[in-house]
Amino acid sequence: MCGVGRSILFTLPMALWTLLMFTPGLLKPGRVEHAAAALTAAFTVGLFFCMIRTGQTYRWRRIFFVALGWLFPVGFIAALIGLRGSMSIPLERMVSGDTPFCFMVTPMLIIPAALTRTVVFPGSILPTPSNPHSIAAMIGLWLAMTLVLGKAWCAYGCFFGGIEEGFAAMAKRPRLRKLDERLRLIPWAVLLAVVLLSAAIFEPVYCMWLCPFKAVTEFPAVRDLQTAIQFGVFVLLFAGLVVVLPFLTKKRTQCGFFCPFGAFQSLFNKINIFEIRFDHNKCTDCGVCRASCPTMAITAESVGQGQALMNCMKCGACVDSCRKGAAVWHIKGTAVGLRPERARLLFLYGAWAMATMFGGSVIANSLATMIHFVLPR
Amino acid sequence: MRHRILSVLGYAMAAATLLVALLVPFKLMGGIASLVSHAGLRIDPVYSGGTPLRTIARNGYTLTIYTLVRPHLLQRGEPFQQVVFAPVSALPTHVEESIDMDGDGTPDLRVVFDVPANPATPLRASVQALNGNYQSLAAVSNDSFTRLLARTGNRIVLRVPLAKSN
Repeated sequence: MCGVGRSILFTLPMALWTLLMFTPGLLKPGRVEHAAAALTAAFTVGLFFCMIRTGQTYRWRRIFFVALGWLFPVGFIAALIGLRGSMSIPLERMVSGDTPFCFMVTPMLIIPAALTRTVVFPGSILPTPSNPHSIAAMIGLWLAMTLVLGKAWCAYGCFFGGIEEGFAAMAKRPRLRKLDERLRLIPWAVLLAVVLLSAAIFEPVYCMWLCPFKAVTEFPAVRDLQTAIQFGVFVLLFAGLVVVLPFLTKKRTQCGFFCPFGAFQSLFNKINIFEIRFDHNKCTDCGVCRASCPTMAITAESVGQGQALMNCMKCGACVDSCRKGAAVWHIKGTAVGLRPERARLLFLYGAWAMATMFGGSVIANSLATMIHFVLPR
Repeated sequence: MRHRILSVLGYAMAAATLLVALLVPFKLMGGIASLVSHAGLRIDPVYSGGTPLRTIARNGYTLTIYTLVRPHLLQRGEPFQQVVFAPVSALPTHVEESIDMDGDGTPDLRVVFDVPANPATPLRASVQALNGNYQSLAAVSNDSFTRLLARTGNRIVLRVPLAKSN
């Protein structure tokens, strides 16, 4: 716990940053846009204050993250319907480079780009009036945020993960408790498979066949048996991995046991300075941290070795649940458990700044869309 | 001493990460995007249709012939060539064209299609190959990336597959 005065003091820099980030939204014409930007700014600053005041990270971050995940499709679908009247993307739109770029494609682009200097995605390198989400801009955003967050992208930046985190939060207790620890290796296998297959057939295989979130964003227009099967796979994977399994297990099953982009992001944890460590002097090996981890990034062996696995997304669930204070935020190179709150604060400033910048604008846009829907102009 | 140095380095890196975070919206994101855009990357020709080769002027509109596109070894689809009719607003309601695709002075394709006033109406063309280089297509529409007739904005894109022997 931190006193109110100190909490306000620590929140002040974030409040200023938020004001800076939301200035364009506040300057937009229209009362609804102003209200949405102001509400979102208050929401993100309020959550940051709660994080500082309570010393807890996970539950406040989750509120933001679930809001981002559940609101993103609202704004995105509304924009698609406004633009072309449908969630499906017809072939002619792909041919003219109008497919909005999604960061999930990134690992599948690397080998074809290195070998042939071509991008195997039907978008456009530079922004166009009909496709502002250009490949260059989105890769710029992803890489810049990844330098700050590492794998924490999956807990503070991804606009999909919050959907399943919301479903996981709905259940009071997990109905499926015994999950094989080897499940966490599947994303690596999926990553390897989609990267190699994409390089072989010059197609973003995951996006064309396996992405569950196509069901709530955009998908190739159904025009033959193949596209019908693709759409069916998207819906089934979404229902299974994003809705049903998170509810039954209270884990982020798509992120933890399937998402190849999450596995790819884990590699960046190696260069990120922040991590979660376990203090052997305090740990009683009670297993609460393992049970609380939404992606099974903690095993008995990893606790024994004193740190979470490389797929840890720094959501803070283990730290918040450990009653002995053995799970701690840590800056590489410093002594474990010496000033964990300082490490947490330094991490949170960067992570929350990114979350506010990117997720905040998504939430504000979606909120404005919803208000316009309820109160037509 | 070693621990102290590592500790100082750790905090310095943490501060640098924070600095990077502050630079993301103002410099870093745009800087990386600019690097990507100048990396000489291009969209795979199966999606983009290749690069323009030459333009044929007609009465108020143009036909742009693109380079041949051959899919990579295991890539789906067949080799094709793209022709773009633009602007749509200058096209007659019924188009009948003999097109010299390879620039040898003799027409290779005869293309017939209607241009409906409503942009949402699907297009359908009859493509007749005048020699053995291309495939004839009875009613090509938005079938696939390699067999296509579609309106994209103020242009109409036609993609004709090469004959199997090519």
